[in-house]
Amino acid sequence: MPVGYSIYVERPSYVHRRIDPRTKLAALGATFVFALAFNHPLPLALLMVAVLAIGRWATIPWRKMAPFLIGGTWFLVLGVMVWPLYVKGGPVLLTPFGIEYTLDGVLFGVAMGLRVALMVIAAGVWMMTTSPQRLTEGLLRLGLPHKAGIAMTAAIRFVPLLNAERVTIQEARQARALDLQRGNPFSRAVRSIAIIGPLFIRAIDVAQSLALAMDARGFGARDGRSSIVVLTFSRTDRVIVFVLLATCIAAVVGRLLGFGTITKDYL
Amino acid sequence: MTSNGQRPDVAIDVDAITFRYEPKSPDVLHGVSLQIHHGEFVAMIGQNGAGKTTLAKTFNGLLKPTTGTVLAGGTDTRTASVGQLARSVGYVYQNPDHQIFAQRVRAEVAFGPNNLKLSEAEVAERVQEALELVDLADHADEFAFSLGRGQRQKLAVASVLAMRPPTLVVDEPTTGLDQKGAKGILDLLTRWNTHGRTIIVITHDMTLVAERVPRTVVVGGGRIIADGPTREVLSNQELLAEAFLRPPQVTRVAQRLARYGVASDALTVPELHAELSRVLRGAV
Repeated sequence: MPVGYSIYVERPSYVHRRIDPRTKLAALGATFVFALAFNHPLPLALLMVAVLAIGRWATIPWRKMAPFLIGGTWFLVLGVMVWPLYVKGGPVLLTPFGIEYTLDGVLFGVAMGLRVALMVIAAGVWMMTTSPQRLTEGLLRLGLPHKAGIAMTAAIRFVPLLNAERVTIQEARQARALDLQRGNPFSRAVRSIAIIGPLFIRAIDVAQSLALAMDARGFGARDGRSSIVVLTFSRTDRVIVFVLLATCIAAVVGRLLGFGTITKDYL
Repeated sequence: MTSNGQRPDVAIDVDAITFRYEPKSPDVLHGVSLQIHHGEFVAMIGQNGAGKTTLAKTFNGLLKPTTGTVLAGGTDTRTASVGQLARSVGYVYQNPDHQIFAQRVRAEVAFGPNNLKLSEAEVAERVQEALELVDLADHADEFAFSLGRGQRQKLAVASVLAMRPPTLVVDEPTTGLDQKGAKGILDLLTRWNTHGRTIIVITHDMTLVAERVPRTVVVGGGRIIADGPTREVLSNQELLAEAFLRPPQVTRVAQRLARYGVASDALTVPELHAELSRVLRGAV
């Protein structure tokens, strides 16, 4: 069972090594602001290209980005299917089952799909280019208490660990003739709930051993701690954060003036 | 012989299997073939990472071989779900906490039989029988997770025994148990074996193997290094060294004393005692 560390992809790229995690966090925040500021597909599509370009610049292989791209595509499909039911305007493109799909509706659907996909993919690229240690250290420098920082790193560490536990518990139950494929989705869901009990017990077990092991190594003996990860907030970081802030303000102002929108009825 | 060439007396028939976890990852098992007959009691030994558990998990279809075939009770494991194969091969996990999930002991043991869609009366009978076999009948209404480590291990075994699988795979049943707990589990497996059931036990415990198990399979580096009567396998130093294993202590003592005429394949304390008595009487 592979037990790894989050989805972080170790690469010697500029994005990984030289840009401060705080700057990257700001960039993620800015992407969210941009994504929510516009509801026209064009600026969102451009932003998507930019996010993917950063991912490629950081030499993240397409293969690693694929799950996020596939997820994004689903949001796109869903947006195009659902939003035209609510947003009408412009020429009618097609009328399946007597429902009018208008150009504006479809464009808005594409925009909404892109919006969610953008946030998901941006968060993915962010996590793949920022190691959990550097991220935690960045947050600590921003004022996060040490214990919360440890809790965060531990939580990231726990995800693959608990997933491995989940698979094992599931297998053990299958080995006792539990047929997970049988029945309707509801009864399948009910059957899989039973896994929560042992999973929690295992999680508490693991967490307790971890806490003991850390206490035994003197965690919390002093308030302040030094870190093996040294962060430097460079001039480039300052420039990036400044540019991000300026463009965020510009985007919000632009939105208020009506740029980059299809309709003013929705965000 | 049945139509697929399976002999009816073979419980597990592994034919030249290889296995890898991911399509591009290296093979974990390299061309393993193994036949285990009904009613046998077999130990699989080998160092950590040798492939014992991987091999054992192919027996009940938890892992499907990458190439080659595994027949469990005559069924090709690739054609059946783990749930279906559970009728013929029971699998007890190394860590009972991976297996136990019901609140009460009784409910835990009933889970498997219930999945087999047995009648209520039949389930109750099997639960009672299984709990008696493992000496947990008095604890039937207790909380499963409040039992001690040894009792939880027994509960894990009981919950599989209640399904009455003709073949039982037990992964590291004595790890983390004291001598009494380990002996309890072994007595139980031995009893189950005398009922005509097939038992495959994965273990590191050489003493246990030497005293109880007639046939030993040594797994190393994803291959079967040795397979034969326990006495032959465990007294073969070169072979065990290849698998980074050591014979039981008693056997090592016997081997050191071989030049005084002590038979070097003594596996248990009574055997060595008898040997030494014989040699010493001869010397007097």
